[in-house]
Amino acid sequence: MNNRTWMSRSLAGTAVMMLGFTLAGCGGGGGDASSRPENELHLAVYGDASNKVEQAMVDKFNETSDVKIVLDTIPGADYQTKLQTIIDTDSAPDIFFNWGGGSIANFVEADLLLPLDDFIEEDAQLKDAFLPSVFETAVIDDKSYGIPMRGTQPVMLFNNSEVLEQAGIDAPPATWDELLDAVEKLKAAGVTPIALGGADQWPTQMWFQYMFDRVAGEGLFQAALDGDTDVWESEESRKALGMLRELVDAGAFGTNFDSVKFTDGGSPTLLSSGRAGFELMGSWAYATHLDANPEFAENVLGYSEFPAIEGGEGDPDNLAGNTNNFYSVHKDTRYPEEAAEFLKLMYSDEFVQEQIAIGNLPTTTNTEQFLDEASNPEYAKYQFDLVKEAPHFQLSWDQAYPPEATVTIHTAVSQFFSGQIDEDGFIKAMQSL
Amino acid sequence: MTTLATRKRPAPGGSPQSRPARSGASSVGRPGFAWALPATIFFALFALVPLAAVAVLSFTSWSGLGDPKFVGLENWETLIADPVMLKSLWLSLLFIVLGVVTQTPLSILLGVWAAGNQRNRAVLSAIYFIPLLLSSAAISVLWRALLDPNFGIPGQLSWLFGDGNLLGTQSGAIGVLIFVGMWQFTPFHTLIYQGAAKGIPTVLYQAAAIDGAGMMRQFFSITLPQLRNTAITSIILMVVGGLTTFETVLILTNGGPGTDTTITAFYMYQEAFQSFDFGVGSAIALVLVVVATVISLVVVKVSGYDKMNSSLEGL
Repeated sequence: MNNRTWMSRSLAGTAVMMLGFTLAGCGGGGGDASSRPENELHLAVYGDASNKVEQAMVDKFNETSDVKIVLDTIPGADYQTKLQTIIDTDSAPDIFFNWGGGSIANFVEADLLLPLDDFIEEDAQLKDAFLPSVFETAVIDDKSYGIPMRGTQPVMLFNNSEVLEQAGIDAPPATWDELLDAVEKLKAAGVTPIALGGADQWPTQMWFQYMFDRVAGEGLFQAALDGDTDVWESEESRKALGMLRELVDAGAFGTNFDSVKFTDGGSPTLLSSGRAGFELMGSWAYATHLDANPEFAENVLGYSEFPAIEGGEGDPDNLAGNTNNFYSVHKDTRYPEEAAEFLKLMYSDEFVQEQIAIGNLPTTTNTEQFLDEASNPEYAKYQFDLVKEAPHFQLSWDQAYPPEATVTIHTAVSQFFSGQIDEDGFIKAMQSL
Repeated sequence: MTTLATRKRPAPGGSPQSRPARSGASSVGRPGFAWALPATIFFALFALVPLAAVAVLSFTSWSGLGDPKFVGLENWETLIADPVMLKSLWLSLLFIVLGVVTQTPLSILLGVWAAGNQRNRAVLSAIYFIPLLLSSAAISVLWRALLDPNFGIPGQLSWLFGDGNLLGTQSGAIGVLIFVGMWQFTPFHTLIYQGAAKGIPTVLYQAAAIDGAGMMRQFFSITLPQLRNTAITSIILMVVGGLTTFETVLILTNGGPGTDTTITAFYMYQEAFQSFDFGVGSAIALVLVVVATVISLVVVKVSGYDKMNSSLEGL
């Protein structure tokens, strides 16, 4: 064999081999328990300020256990991407943070998660210690896949009470008509009635979640999620869209909301600086304001439920937002018993107290007795009662659907608000899911 | 690596193909294939193999869970029928054209100026090059904050920007992305032109001055023609850079408003890593490879760069 052919053949051979390795690497590498590290449980969580409580729980667990838990924090915005790319490999975490619902539906379907019903059978507290409306979010096909951790985050209508007062609005709007009335008064007072971080897209989605729930009831979205896409064309759906259009066209959000973000402090600053009257936002808005402007958060910031809609199907006490975060357990974990022991810490008094101390609101039945320890007990109690009394707590649309639907939903809601698509365009986009 | 070792050793037994042992001047000549081996292996490992894997993936349906399933041409049919895909290609082309048109004149002028001997030149050049040292992500976050409609520059200059809804309209968002791209990449191209302008022999200018050519005439008749090949290099870099622009779009506009700034590279990311459809994402990636190759070939062919004529025209 001469040098040249030998060279090219070996090169080709190497290339083919590498291709083989690459493809094998792509394929489901999910092995069995024995390919996982010994005496270690990996715990993946969304990286943010809440991690110190998670670290404290891990430390507490590790004090008495031979199997040590290793906390892997994954920077927030990339969490779901990173999780999906490692979950079916040998590097998958044993226990991981998620939002329940659609965020784990694909994993359940791919048979990657451990149903927790056996754990619950041994220790009923793993289910009974949590508020039912929250626990249900991680139940798929009648099997429980998640134990609530961290806190609940309902979406509320925040307001700047000084701005409302100056515009002659006595109380936060309890009905849709009062909201429309307040919008007119705020416009007359020369401020943007409602701050909206439209560039982030998910704040826009919050308006759809509540409008559809109030006008059509919780059944419409659930039916759509279950595959009946005809409901998007229903009369109630069109009515909800029409009312949203009316609100946008009335100038409730000003004209430049598509350039404003919540995440970089744009829309919260509009509210706190008195240039806007309201903002519809998750309960974390309080912490955001407390961080940026404590004076405002404690004295001026007001909050109320999303207004009731006369003649609507939905219960005015229904909530929408992030019901809670959950820990789920990977099916291939080497130490299921230890994982169960760790999950039991999630309803312990110590865990609840630590969560409350950093401003989160856990959803255990023993939470109520510690609410006085919160930095703002009044706010904590208000939220807890909302969640406890809510007949239905709608998980955010982009988390109720599997992650692949997120781009479509976000694009549709923002295009509808900016007028790029009309009712039919929105209906078509949602039916494509 | 073993191949490299084998290749260098004199072949035992002296087969007809084996070269004589190297000695003195006889070894000077064209370097053998072995010299290219390390680069070839790295190129194969980090470019060709992934490219082949992406080509295979484009015929599969895969969400990252389980094994990829072969679906034939389904992804390609989806893409061809997808209005966003077509729109993203047009947007990518628009970004490339606008990028070249805005950055080239500016970098030529700055580069030629920076090649001179003026006072303060070194200090000012150093300041102009600062954007080159910043990461795209940092630049995008910076401009995002500066362009906030209520609390940024547009909020202060409402006579110019109106309600400041720059990122909420298609023309505004494209304008912002082109401007930020210009701010970020002009220093790099300035550097290229500066180097090239310094290489132009001064005798040409001296001769022109004797013939009575002024500054303008010298610039258009000597400097610009001498920078021809540099300009082609710079433009090819801009084209490839424009096609793969990603961080600025992700952070500044997230492809919005709607899909109005969803260029192909960003659409690839959205499909693969947000919608977890690695099959369609891979197909878009292949389209990008093809488009980039075709554009580069056309530029090289049209400009005569492939003939590699000396840039020292007139000498």
